[in-house]
Amino acid sequence: MLKKTAIDKISELASRMMEQGTLIAPVKEDGYFHFREIADVQAVDLNYHNTVTSPKSVFFPPVEDFIHYETGKSILDAVAVELNVKPTFLFGVRPCDVRSFQIMDIHFSGTGSVDPYWQKRREATVIFGYAFYLDEPAQAEEFYSTLGIGAADPEGSDIFMIRKENDLLLKSMTSKGEKILDRLSVHDAATPEDEKYFEEYIHRGRQTRTRFTCIEKSNIAKKMEDLFHNNDFWMKISSACLSCGVCTFLCPNCYCFDICDETLFGKGTRRRVWDACMFTDFTLEASGHNPRTQVYQRLRQKINHKYSYHVRKYDTISCVGCGRCTRHCPVNIDIFSIVEDAMKA
Amino acid sequence: MAISFKQIEEKLKAESKRLLETGQVSVVLAYQNGYDEKHPMPYAAKCVSDVENIIFNEYCNFNMARYLVRYSRGTKIAIAVKAADSRAVIQLLHEEKVCREDVVVMGIPVYGMKNSETGQEIDGQTTCGLYNPILYDILLGEEIHGKPVVSPFEVLTPYEAMDREDRFVFWKKEFDRCIRCYACRKACPMCYCDPCFIDQQKPRWGEKSPQSSGNFMYHLTRFHHLAGRCVDCGECSRACPVNIPLYLFHKKMAKECKEMFGQGAGMSLKDKPVLINFRVDDSDKILE
Repeated sequence: MLKKTAIDKISELASRMMEQGTLIAPVKEDGYFHFREIADVQAVDLNYHNTVTSPKSVFFPPVEDFIHYETGKSILDAVAVELNVKPTFLFGVRPCDVRSFQIMDIHFSGTGSVDPYWQKRREATVIFGYAFYLDEPAQAEEFYSTLGIGAADPEGSDIFMIRKENDLLLKSMTSKGEKILDRLSVHDAATPEDEKYFEEYIHRGRQTRTRFTCIEKSNIAKKMEDLFHNNDFWMKISSACLSCGVCTFLCPNCYCFDICDETLFGKGTRRRVWDACMFTDFTLEASGHNPRTQVYQRLRQKINHKYSYHVRKYDTISCVGCGRCTRHCPVNIDIFSIVEDAMKA
Repeated sequence: MAISFKQIEEKLKAESKRLLETGQVSVVLAYQNGYDEKHPMPYAAKCVSDVENIIFNEYCNFNMARYLVRYSRGTKIAIAVKAADSRAVIQLLHEEKVCREDVVVMGIPVYGMKNSETGQEIDGQTTCGLYNPILYDILLGEEIHGKPVVSPFEVLTPYEAMDREDRFVFWKKEFDRCIRCYACRKACPMCYCDPCFIDQQKPRWGEKSPQSSGNFMYHLTRFHHLAGRCVDCGECSRACPVNIPLYLFHKKMAKECKEMFGQGAGMSLKDKPVLINFRVDDSDKILE
């Protein structure tokens, strides 16, 4: 069922969501957009292209506390941190980012061992996908078409939203979404014309091209495998790399983490924090040996994980072409160019 | 005199070619094209045929001095530097991370550099605001004179107007955004510690998790490690994906350093850096 609401009435919709749970939506902070938990409905702002940080933190927060303990006390006194998940509305996620959740599901729940933290949050969350605005050109950094993702693909969203001039069209794509859409009582029913617009928009989204190169997943995986020992290639593409964590921390598909015990004045917490394969100490072993001491080895790992190992293991490329890594790289390293170069090499 | 980026590029290419051809250097640190014109990349040219890839335009912001410490002693390196970058070279020479005879400094006198993200011109607000390199062996162009100089400390006025509590609130808000990607320290030419204190396991100086206490520990310690050493190139703030204005603290430290000791980091090959130099007539202001 297609519903409709005026864009400038978004805050009404937002407040209805907040009555029923936690609302997480794009917010403009000092000129840049991020997904944030909403306290003030006026803060919800849909005039964005995409957010700086990816929405993965909604399901996989940068810090996740597991256990509280006190040093010197018995392990039996340690207390597990209870996970209180409230119904959550994740509002305004771009199609490529919605796709990233499906890829991340493989790691956190799809391989047999289930991560309850990810799983519970995922189940409690209703995803409002939001098509890119097609009248606005794709940004130079994006390449989601290369990975088979359309600018208005509704797959993976519970409710999918498209902007039509000053209106927002909302359509439920899952039964979960349908229930919510009813409960949110978006009153304006859409016209048959809106229906047509909605369907055509999805179609048009598939024809909209970002940067594009023809990569077939098994092809690129094989190519990367062949290139693995070509040190000249990797040294060349990584010569500018600073080995910081911008690309991995902003990536909607990077999921590496570290478990650390952080203790202060005898009180401690065992927590999970994000980690990055671009950091020198990521592979540092207890013996002192580090198998990846060079920048090129680390960048090679990152690219290969996404475009080679991941394809071999899970038959999917672990990249959605959102362009965040390229856009925010301090030295403008472009993953798309690397993939193109690899295909040509 | 209008400055031409194209002319600088031509000179940069010609000099790089000559230096590589004559074998004076084995690496030239300069800039190359990225995925579009607004996004060039740092470049290390290693042979004469690499030289054609070298470019220079208003978006070549990178401080190439960052890459100097990657090469082993004895490697002959030519490096393209803008004003602040040359200060970093001087500071690295003082700290003996680089030998003077190993580097050929190609100075670029320039103004009108732009931030590729915002399109705004880069001036004394976020960097040291100088036009001419302090140190060079070869100057790619002519020294710029007569352009109004923007004080690098002017931007501090609202910051200095804040009292202690306000400043704490200000930094807490900024640091709470930090995702601990460490782009700031990685982009910084003066951050070369291996390992960085925050990565040490024993002792663990600060929490790894991106929360207030660890973020404060990391940033405040880094700020103080750079006291009297920061060359005000603005790379940390430019690299930050969440736009934390790190330059404010660095500038404040630089200003105090200037007021107390009359020196700026990397402003002279003669003057020893303030924190490794004891003079009887040093200011005691810090003790007051």
